[in-house]
Amino acid sequence: MQNILKILFVLSVLITGVPAYAAIDGTQLLKQIDRNLNPESYEMYRKLINIEPSGRKMEYTFFSVKKGLDKIAGLFLAPASEKGRSTLRLGDNMWLYIPNVGKPIRITSLQSVIGGIFNNADILSLDYSAEYDVEKIEETGNEYLLYLKAKTKTVAYDRLKLWADKNKKIPTKIECLTEASMLIKTLYFKDIKDFGGGIVRPSVLETDSPLYKGYKSVMLFANIKQRDFKDEVFTLTYMPKMDSLRK
Amino acid sequence: MNRLLCPFVILAVLFVSISSFAEEYSSQSSAGQTTETQAPASASSTEEYKFEPSEIEKKPYHIGGYFEFRPILYGLDKESAFYKLKFFNRKEGSTIEDYDGRVWLEGSYEKGIVGFFLKTNLGLDHTYKGWDHETRIYEGYSSLKPSSSLTIDLGKRVFNWGKGYAWNPVAFVDRPKDPDDPELPREGYIAATADYIKSFNGPLKTFSVSPILFPVYHHINDTFGEWNRLNFAGRIYGLLYDTDIDLLFLVGESKTNRFGFDFSRNVTTNLEVHGEFAFIKNQQKTSVDASGNVSMTQFDAKSLLLGLRYLSSMDTTYILEYYHNAPGYSASELRNFFSFTDKAFDILQSTGKKTQWKKAEGLFNGNYGKMNPGKDYLYLRISQKEPFNILYFTPALTTIMNLDDRSFSISPELLYEGIKNWEFRLKGMALVGSRGAEFGEKQNDYRIELRVRYYF
Repeated sequence: MQNILKILFVLSVLITGVPAYAAIDGTQLLKQIDRNLNPESYEMYRKLINIEPSGRKMEYTFFSVKKGLDKIAGLFLAPASEKGRSTLRLGDNMWLYIPNVGKPIRITSLQSVIGGIFNNADILSLDYSAEYDVEKIEETGNEYLLYLKAKTKTVAYDRLKLWADKNKKIPTKIECLTEASMLIKTLYFKDIKDFGGGIVRPSVLETDSPLYKGYKSVMLFANIKQRDFKDEVFTLTYMPKMDSLRK
Repeated sequence: MNRLLCPFVILAVLFVSISSFAEEYSSQSSAGQTTETQAPASASSTEEYKFEPSEIEKKPYHIGGYFEFRPILYGLDKESAFYKLKFFNRKEGSTIEDYDGRVWLEGSYEKGIVGFFLKTNLGLDHTYKGWDHETRIYEGYSSLKPSSSLTIDLGKRVFNWGKGYAWNPVAFVDRPKDPDDPELPREGYIAATADYIKSFNGPLKTFSVSPILFPVYHHINDTFGEWNRLNFAGRIYGLLYDTDIDLLFLVGESKTNRFGFDFSRNVTTNLEVHGEFAFIKNQQKTSVDASGNVSMTQFDAKSLLLGLRYLSSMDTTYILEYYHNAPGYSASELRNFFSFTDKAFDILQSTGKKTQWKKAEGLFNGNYGKMNPGKDYLYLRISQKEPFNILYFTPALTTIMNLDDRSFSISPELLYEGIKNWEFRLKGMALVGSRGAEFGEKQNDYRIELRVRYYF
C-alpha cells in the first residue's frame, strides 16, 4: 500500500507538478529577462548599422519610446534621406509615416523599413513575454536555454531559442526560427553597460542570417531611460510630431 | 545645341548648391568632431562601433530637403489626340527631352508648445517650351500643441486623406495624386485645423476628431472651387478592432457636399487590405459626342477603391488596387471625345477655323485632360526588395489599366539607395492601347527618366 502511494505521489508530481513548475518559472524568468533589458515604459536611442560583405556600412539613428506591453513608436533622426520617418506599433498593428507621403501607411512585421537583416519586428520589438510562451527550459553551464513559442500567428518568428546568462538574467543569444524550425536569423547580445537608473544591459546587438550570407546588422543602444508617456503619443495623428518628445 | 546645354546648366546650378552646402555641412561636422575629441563620451564602449552624443542632440530648428535632377525623354505619338491638343502649332521631332532641376527645402522651428513648419519647391526646368522656373510654398503653417491630445494648425498644409496608394476618392481637401508617382509632394491648401486625440483600452483603441475651416476667396485657395465661401470639412478617425476607420466630409458652397469613409487593416503579418468610398452630391459632368455636341449631366456620384498590399516569402511586395471613378468617362465617352478632337483638328488643318478646336481644347483642359479620366482602373505594383542580396536595390514593375477600354501603361523601374543620402531611380514607361482608348491617345508612346536625389 505504501509503495502504491509512493508511485501515485511520484506520478502526480510528474503529471502536474513539473510542468506547472516549469511554466511558472519560465514565464517569470522571461519577464525578468524583459525587465533587465528595458523598463516597461522607456525612451531610448539606437543606431542601426547594416554591414555588407565588402565592409561598406549604412547607418541609421533612431529614437524610440515604449509604453506598457503593446505600444512602441520610433523616429529616424539620420541619415538625411530617412529623417522624419516615424513608425508606430500597437500590438500587431504597424504603421510607417514618410514625410513625403504625408500620411501613415500600414506595414507588416516581416518588412524592413531600413533594409538589411533587421525587420520591423526587430526594430519595434515588444517584451518577449508579451509575444511568446515558454515551452521548455534547459540549463547549459552558466546559461539558461529557453524554448519560446509565439502566442499568436501574427508574431514575426514562430519560435525562439533564447540563451540567457544565469546570474545576470540577460540574453546572450537568440535564434529566430520558423514554424518548421528553419533558422531565420541569430541575435547576439554584447558589451554589457550601465546606462544609469539601474539599467545594466547589453549595449550592442549584432545579427546575422543564413538568408543574407556575409551580411551583418548591428544595433547600438544609448540613453535608455525610464519615462512615462500619455497613450495619445501612440496614435497615427501623433506620428508626424514624434520629434517633439525628444528633450 | 541649346538642348545639349540645358542639362549642364541645371547640373551646374545644383552642383554649386550641393558644393556650398556640403562645404558648410563639412565645417559643422568638423566642429562637432572636435568637441567629441575633447570630451569623448561614446555611448558604446566598443571600438568598432561609435555612437556619439552629438548624433542625438536635439536642436529647436531643422533645415533639410533634397536636390533633384531629372532628365526625361518622351517618345511622341504624333497621331494621338493628346499630341494634337498639346503640340498642334509646333513641329517637334519623334522625341522631346525635359531637364528638371529642383531644390526641395524643409524647415521647422519648435519652441515649447509652438512650432513653425515650411516646405518649399524651387524648380528650374527646361522643356520643349523653353526655360521655366517655380518658387512655391507647398506647406507653411504654425502649430500650437497645448497638450499631447490637442493640436491646432493654421496655414497652408496637406491633409493626405484616404488609404489608397494610387488614388484617393475621399481626399476632398487635397490636390489629386499622380498615380504614376504617388509619392511626389503635393501643394497644400490654406486652412485652420485642429486634431483632438483620445486613447482607450478595449476594442476602440484610438479616437480622433479633426475639424477644418477651409476658406475659398480671391488669392486664398482660389483654384479649389467657388469663391467667397467658407467651407467646413472634417475627419473622424478610430482604431477599432485593429482596423483604421475614417469618416470624412466636406460641406460648403465652393464644391458640392461630399462624404466618405475609408478603412485599412492588417489581415496577417504580410497582408494588408484597404478601401475607400466617396459620395459626392450633385456631381456635374460635361460630355461631348463624336459630332461635338456638349451636354451636362448632374448626379450623385459614388466612387470606390479597394486594395491590398501583400508581402511574399521572397520579399516581393504586391500592391493591387481597383478604382471605380464615378464621375469618370466610359470607354465610349472617351472614344467620342477623341473622335471629335480628330475631326476638330482636321477642320483646323484644312480650313483654319478654330471654333471646334477651341471647344476640344476647353474639354481637354476640363475633365478629359485629367491624369486618369476614365471610370474603372486597376493598379498593380510589384517590387522586389534587394534581389540577389543587393542591399538597398529595389526593382519594381507598375501597371495602370483602364478596365473599360483595356488600354494600359507599364512602368519598370530600378531604385538604388545604397550611397548615403543619394537616391538613383531609372524609370521607363510604355503606353499601350488602340486608337480611341485612353492610353492609346496619350501624347507619348513611351517615356524614360532618370531621377537623382541628394538629401541633406
